[in-house]
Amino acid sequence: MKEFIDKVLQTSKVSALPIMTHPGIEALGKSVKDAVTNGQTHYEAIKYLSEKYNTIAATSIMDLTVEAEAFGAAVNLPENEIPTVTGRLVSTSEEVDALQVPSLAKGRVPQYLLANKLAADNIKDKPVFSGCIGPFSLAGRLYDMSEIMVAIYIEPDTILQLLQKCTDFLISYCQALKATGVAGVVMAEPAAGLLSNDDCLMYSTDFVKQVVDAVQDDDFTLILHNCGNTGQCTQAMIASGAKALHFGNAIDMKGVLAECPRDMIVLGNLDPVGVFKQGTPDSIKVAVEELLAKTAGYTNFVVSSGCDLPPHVPEENIAAFLQVVNG
Amino acid sequence: MEKLSECVEFGKINLASPYPPQMKGQPGADEITKDALDAGITPSDILNNALILAMNKVGQKYTENKIFVPQMLLSAKAMSASMNHLKPFFASGAVQRKGKFIVGTVFGDLHDIGKNLFSMMVEGAGWEVIDLGIDVKTEKFVETVQQNPGAVVGISALLTTTMVNMKPVIEAIKAVSPSTKVIVGGAPLSAEFATTIGADGYGKNPQEGIMWLDKISA
Repeated sequence: MKEFIDKVLQTSKVSALPIMTHPGIEALGKSVKDAVTNGQTHYEAIKYLSEKYNTIAATSIMDLTVEAEAFGAAVNLPENEIPTVTGRLVSTSEEVDALQVPSLAKGRVPQYLLANKLAADNIKDKPVFSGCIGPFSLAGRLYDMSEIMVAIYIEPDTILQLLQKCTDFLISYCQALKATGVAGVVMAEPAAGLLSNDDCLMYSTDFVKQVVDAVQDDDFTLILHNCGNTGQCTQAMIASGAKALHFGNAIDMKGVLAECPRDMIVLGNLDPVGVFKQGTPDSIKVAVEELLAKTAGYTNFVVSSGCDLPPHVPEENIAAFLQVVNG
Repeated sequence: MEKLSECVEFGKINLASPYPPQMKGQPGADEITKDALDAGITPSDILNNALILAMNKVGQKYTENKIFVPQMLLSAKAMSASMNHLKPFFASGAVQRKGKFIVGTVFGDLHDIGKNLFSMMVEGAGWEVIDLGIDVKTEKFVETVQQNPGAVVGISALLTTTMVNMKPVIEAIKAVSPSTKVIVGGAPLSAEFATTIGADGYGKNPQEGIMWLDKISA
């Protein structure tokens, strides 16, 4: 962790870290389903992008179904789309009470650990960041996202119990990811961005902090990603103790940088769809230059996509982004 | 009316609901609506002078970041509890609504929080909502439009991979009913994208969508 953070803070030039794996999957002629079910394919996509592009780190797939599937949730795995959780696994306090925290042998978890191990073992010129879901976003997938939003007020004790089970699993998963040798984990907690700061503190931050306390050290950084935050819950994200925060395109990056401590890495926030997917090299150049101008002077800033790049982003757009950032 | 409006604005669903804490143990929208009808207050008065006004305030507070998704959903649930008592009057024609709104998440997409939130707000704004659910096939949209002439259609998508499915749905709807208005919404969308796929409207947030609906129905 220290090495990554020092590199960012001590370099006056802004670094680039787009969250991406899909362009690698496509370049290898593989399907999304291949990559999310086969650790070797997943690794090869990470490795391909790591070698092709000059980024400060490599990242794995932002797949927000792996952990829910391990708990027993049904998952839809389309050939070339991001997997989604279908249905609702728990709906009553009795079901939450009976829910077992799964082992790391469940579902596709072993394949994700394999991908991260291969990446950590074979990518030596830059740190590799793995990925996992955040506790509130995971609980929402198990309980139903609309229902959990209401239940935090109607049945708070049930939701807190569910969150603790989700967190116990995430601690175990992040410890296993750390053991693969990766430099950290990007924890995606977008659902918490739909909450007020106070609710985010109670139903997300308190649990994210447990994971931070269990795994974060000089060798392992937790990057907390919340692309749902429009500015109302930045303080709650800071309070998690994560050494790096990653923001989506709905937020004003200059305002966020002013709010965050200068020794904390702050990443964001070009629109993955409007800028990367639907843009052109020329429009991307304009967008990146605007963002860099707004964020000038912040040595803790790393320019990134506001979320995982979706499938079918043109390669020339990624190249244009990196050309502007890296010069 | 004032008490009912307050229940909806602050998300007090019924007597049993512990939310909001300051109204714990008090009757909610469910009981107050029943009492109001029993006392002879007309369903139109309840709809226009309590529910629509309250949901308008809720939408405004959400737009201004004064409340967030959970509070908005609780208000919508309180509104729905009240609306359940009014449904027989809608069916009999005793209460007129602004129009029909057909809504669904586009085929291939299983997400529903945005669609649910918006449809509840639209219902609270005085429209009859026909919710087709998630992963709605083009044929289902077309068939429902044909069964409900004059209805407005709303299509939702959360994924970049499914937002592109909106275009063929709109084309199919316009092919059978060129005058049908279609509004689209969802996190990855933009006003520009909505225009390129032939949508008539785009809702960045629920309140914007409702303002658009009110404008076209005026």
